[in-house]
Amino acid sequence: MSEASEEQFVKLLQENQNIVHKICRLYTHDQDSHNDLFQEITIQLWKAYPNFRGDSKFTTWAYRVGLNTAITLYRKKKKTINTIEFDNTFHKVKQEDYNFEEEEQIKLLYSAIGELNDIEKALVFLYLEEKDYSEISETLGITEVNARVKMNRLKGKLKKILNP
Amino acid sequence: MMMDELDILKKDWKKNENSYTQITEKEIYGMLHKKSSSIVKWILVISILEIAFWSVLGFFTADDNYLKTLEQYHLRDVMPIITTLNYAVILFFIYLFYKNYKTINTTDTVKQLMHTILKTRKTVQNYVWYNLIMTFFSMVLVVVFQLKYDRNIEKVFKNMSTTMDSNLFYLMVTFFYIIVILVVIGFIWLFYRLIYGILMKRLNNNYKELKKIDL
Repeated sequence: MSEASEEQFVKLLQENQNIVHKICRLYTHDQDSHNDLFQEITIQLWKAYPNFRGDSKFTTWAYRVGLNTAITLYRKKKKTINTIEFDNTFHKVKQEDYNFEEEEQIKLLYSAIGELNDIEKALVFLYLEEKDYSEISETLGITEVNARVKMNRLKGKLKKILNP
Repeated sequence: MMMDELDILKKDWKKNENSYTQITEKEIYGMLHKKSSSIVKWILVISILEIAFWSVLGFFTADDNYLKTLEQYHLRDVMPIITTLNYAVILFFIYLFYKNYKTINTTDTVKQLMHTILKTRKTVQNYVWYNLIMTFFSMVLVVVFQLKYDRNIEKVFKNMSTTMDSNLFYLMVTFFYIIVILVVIGFIWLFYRLIYGILMKRLNNNYKELKKIDL
């Protein structure tokens, strides 16, 4: 590994770190696990960096590696993570935009998402990132049709969680 | 209906886009070089395996024959003391390796990481030196007492001194033992060089990269 590429990598990651932060936000429930996952994704990105050829965008590639890392970690810790209570204070909304009803709804939505499985979380994440189905299918390595089907199922599932 | 709710979420998602505490380039470098901690972990593991290996070997070779030989060499009282001391020192080194591993795992700053790497390197160097010197001294000790007390050797010496100039004979014996000791020490040195050398090289590379960041 040349040193130039390490510098380049750190720079790219530093500039695009919000992608990783956002993945952490959906997959973790408190600041500590957020930081842990951030570090894990950083290490995985660095390990995978030699395979990043630059023919896709760094961000697209980071989405893929980052989500894969979150998904694998999530699978490993599946049993423990479900028991962790969702820490709402961590995901706070700016004061000036405070709107009680909407705020409550958002909290509910986040905790509903917390109950989804790893792949579904990835779908929600890409949806929130306004990715179209072709990008979603490329990032997750599934067909576009499959992505649509999964998305519809997920919406149904969310609805069930929110209105039991 | 559901779409609306996910859209509310999307709004909130976008609003928070820039609310994440930003990590600096330095911190990212620090994360990348956490791999140092896995190297330090290996150093710890290998040192434990090593002591386990020697203990097992010692356990199986310490039969009556060995004890009789020690008795014959007048080393029966001394050898257990040396062995115990040796284990104590090695356990102390393992404790140091463990401490280094703990520190490197809780280190957050690049500077501290570099410091721990240097410390680990020093510990490994001391450990290897200790083992080489210890081997050298115990071999010299055994050889000296063997020459002095071994009955078989005594016989050989007596036979030889009738056919050969005794000074020349002693010179040859001394030379022979020096060669044997050097070869054994050389092997041990090679063994450490092979095992720890690879780890140390990686650790050094990490250190060099960290040094570039931390100016």
